[in-house]
Amino acid sequence: MSTTFRCGDHAALVGYLYDECERAERDAIAAHLAVCAACAAEMSALDSTRIQLASWSPPEAELGFVITRSETRLASPLSIPRLAWVAQPLPAWAQMAAAAAIFAVGLALGIAGPSVLTQRADSVARDVPGGDQEGRAAGVTVATLDALEERLRTEIAGLRASPSAPSAAPASAPATSDGLLLARVRALIDESERRQQRELALRTAQVLRDFDSQRRVDLEQIQRSFGQFEGLTGAEVREQRQMLNYLMRVSQQR
Amino acid sequence: MTSTDEDLVARSRGGDVESFNELILRWERPIYALAYRVIGREEDARDVCQETFLRAFRALPGFKGQAKFSSWLYRIALNLCRDWVRRRRRAPLVEVPEGVDPLDLAADREPTESIEDLVSRRELSDAVAEAMAVLPEEQRTAIILKEYHGMTFQEISDLQGCPLSTVKTRLYQGLTVLRRQLEKNGLGSALGRGKNAPVSHEEAKRV
Repeated sequence: MSTTFRCGDHAALVGYLYDECERAERDAIAAHLAVCAACAAEMSALDSTRIQLASWSPPEAELGFVITRSETRLASPLSIPRLAWVAQPLPAWAQMAAAAAIFAVGLALGIAGPSVLTQRADSVARDVPGGDQEGRAAGVTVATLDALEERLRTEIAGLRASPSAPSAAPASAPATSDGLLLARVRALIDESERRQQRELALRTAQVLRDFDSQRRVDLEQIQRSFGQFEGLTGAEVREQRQMLNYLMRVSQQR
Repeated sequence: MTSTDEDLVARSRGGDVESFNELILRWERPIYALAYRVIGREEDARDVCQETFLRAFRALPGFKGQAKFSSWLYRIALNLCRDWVRRRRRAPLVEVPEGVDPLDLAADREPTESIEDLVSRRELSDAVAEAMAVLPEEQRTAIILKEYHGMTFQEISDLQGCPLSTVKTRLYQGLTVLRRQLEKNGLGSALGRGKNAPVSHEEAKRV
């Protein structure tokens, strides 16, 4: 804080401009401004600039962000694993990225899927109790094989009865799962295509709208130019008419 | 009775999501306006605004009320804006006007306002935006926080992490550059060059 003010003390001037200084300092600056035309002019200019700044306003935007909780059973109230912004669509690039990611995962599953399932079928086959050992045994009798077949049939029937069991039937599982997987991949691809088409449609609409706006602005400008041109032409015609009138008057006088 | 920010923060920390949504409703417009003025693009300002609240929500357990909630929010938003500006340094900072259609504008004008007034108001707004884009980031942010968010020197100093004197210098230099820019665009005379024709200190000394 200071009770005197010197020209060039910009910090103090800014304090005065925003009325954020001590009373004594404010009085000192006010006294100085009353006698120093340069500082008074500078203060006035800064003030004018501030007034002009007030005209800058951001465009109206649709906001309305809301946080929604997707899961309610949480250990900590705020450790929410997933947040959703409703009433606020994801940006286009995010949608595209998500579609691409889903497609890539689907594709990867589609490629890796059958082998994974095959491995699982192999392991199920190997896990059949006693099957491997008995198959490799040298002296296999018909009765043993019959017994094995019977046991396997019983187990398969049991598994079919409970389709939700984690270890699916070894023979039919790969084909069914492949079909399902293919259907899912197709669905993902379709969905991705639909999104891309929607995005394309949006972009096209945007381009058309921009084009139309530009056309309207251009037309407006052309119309204004014509107006000015017509105004000029009218003025020239008037001048010529006045000149002719004058000449007529002069010739008649003579 | 309207709840204070502190009440809402406390309830949000206790797991009340609706209280946090109330805070969003209260602060989303100022944060959006800040982001728009700093980065100059409507779409990106909205993204920054959304990201600010998302980050604030995630970081809420760590917010102990050591600062005002709004200051904390502004800090998050400014950090995001700074990141954005650094990422897009090569791109023009302010793109104005953004999809402005004079005919649409005309439809929105007030009955007493002529097209000419509307256009000149719009021109002034655009000229200010363009002039602001010329400023260095620190000066621009200081002016935005002061002029449009009414912060004190101390609050700006805390947010920008610099001494008070630096804040004042940034404001002075920023306003001076803005004045010159506006004058260059023929807009400085409207208010400044009238009867009391303000001139710069150097100019005045020469007279």
